[in-house]
Amino acid sequence: MTTPPFVDAHVHVFARPSAEFPRLVNDGMPADRQATVEELLAQMQAHDVAQAVLVQTGGNALEHHAYLRRCLADHPDKFRGIGLIPADCADPERHMDTLAAKGDIIGFRLTDLGGPFDPLQPIDLRGSRTYPIWKRAAEKDYVLWLYPRAGDSPILAFLVDAFPQVRVVFNHLMVCVGDGTFTWDDQGRPQVAMTMPPITRYSTLRLNGYENVCVHLSGQYAFSRQAWPYADTAGWQQTLLRDFGAERLMWGSDFPWIVGDPGYGRTLAGIDASLPALCDEQRQGILGATARRFLRLPGATD
Amino acid sequence: MIAPTPHQRLQFIEEGYVVVDDALVGDDLLRLQTAFDRCAAESRAEWLDGICKGTRPAGFFDIPSPFERDDAFIDLIDHPSWYGLLMDFTDNELILLAPQVRVLPPSPISYVGWHPDVPQTNPLHIKVQIYVDDVARDQGPFCYVPGSHKSDAGPYPRVRRLESMPGHRVFPGKAGTAILFNSYGWHTSMVNSTSRPRKSIILIYEKWTEGRVDADRYAGIADRLKTPARQRLFSLKPAGGGP
Repeated sequence: MTTPPFVDAHVHVFARPSAEFPRLVNDGMPADRQATVEELLAQMQAHDVAQAVLVQTGGNALEHHAYLRRCLADHPDKFRGIGLIPADCADPERHMDTLAAKGDIIGFRLTDLGGPFDPLQPIDLRGSRTYPIWKRAAEKDYVLWLYPRAGDSPILAFLVDAFPQVRVVFNHLMVCVGDGTFTWDDQGRPQVAMTMPPITRYSTLRLNGYENVCVHLSGQYAFSRQAWPYADTAGWQQTLLRDFGAERLMWGSDFPWIVGDPGYGRTLAGIDASLPALCDEQRQGILGATARRFLRLPGATD
Repeated sequence: MIAPTPHQRLQFIEEGYVVVDDALVGDDLLRLQTAFDRCAAESRAEWLDGICKGTRPAGFFDIPSPFERDDAFIDLIDHPSWYGLLMDFTDNELILLAPQVRVLPPSPISYVGWHPDVPQTNPLHIKVQIYVDDVARDQGPFCYVPGSHKSDAGPYPRVRRLESMPGHRVFPGKAGTAILFNSYGWHTSMVNSTSRPRKSIILIYEKWTEGRVDADRYAGIADRLKTPARQRLFSLKPAGGGP
């Protein structure tokens, strides 16, 4: 049997800040750092990865998306994009529609759902800050890419339940990040001081009952306290496989943070190391078929 | 000490659970409800802070260290409504492992799927779920698959919709209802689709074995455990022996 090319369902590319490609600068993305699409393409080619999802980083204003949009325009068959929305955006629907106008930005990443929320207080869903975004996603068939804060975890199920038509992809092992747990390590990689399995699983794992929810197997390096293959994340990945199934899981490398350690190829190989009992069909699902089907990538026939 | 009726004993053996209606009533129940609400109010801010930090679950709120907070919780451990049943089921070798004083918020999903708590190789493991307030059928009631505690039962499917589990029974109940169940059996908490939090207490017991005794576990409340029976129950003394 021929193995179809892989799909990397979560990467970032960015240029050095310039007038053409403005972006924000922070500890992990200083002005002299870049992760170009050419570097990504080289890694993909070396590891039989045919397509990828480029996730905006470096700012959420329209102009900050310039490099992402250039990459998508230059490689229409290889990439689809995920944009960002400013938290204080007065007209998020317009922002979303502008970015998605060409069809190559297929969704939007949300990291702040407007919390914290008190689980014992009634959730005012329509009054919540991201409700208009979810509503627009439902109207326009945009994908929502979620990497929520732990304080937002109480509203997640209410939103997913209210919008069963919105395709949702939980990033990075479905972890909801606790306040104060995020840092950059000395290799320029995100680190998140959350134990595995994540305590936020009590708000997320049973979302497996919603067919519109998928999960990234990605970011293991950021949560693990061990060297590759990050054995302390394996149990949680196996739980996600058991409860969601391979048809709802997608591998993502989280390029470029992983290029130096553990290396692009080892993020791919980490799936087999963590899930050694995968059959061929499950493996193909996680490494490509799920993303092609769920995200409707160019040429998808799955 | 109240011994189980033949029907209760048979039901526990064959189906894995026993429901004790009106296990707590009147002043007993009122005392527990008052302690529950007071302790929940005291510790709620810490819980909310923990949710934001990613150290506490949002899916349920367990009041920490309940025995330290109020004797009403200690007095549940050997409450006559279920203590005799537990002693009978464990051949008078009962120890307490832990209490969970739990508030279950409304949510479109449960915080947990169907599961047994321990494998059959574990010593007999029994939980008592006590409803502090009335729990309606759509308010996150306890749910169990009768007979699933037996070693030859199953296998059971990993269903995505909790209602799809074959043969399950849902246990709504009045305030003061206690449900004893064998934790080898498959159980869950159903969805609380109401606007009212569910309040319950889960007491976790086990048949005594050497490896499970931890004399330090409840040393902090030793001065409040006056009788030898309680001291054994809380692992401050070996199980068995005289009163």
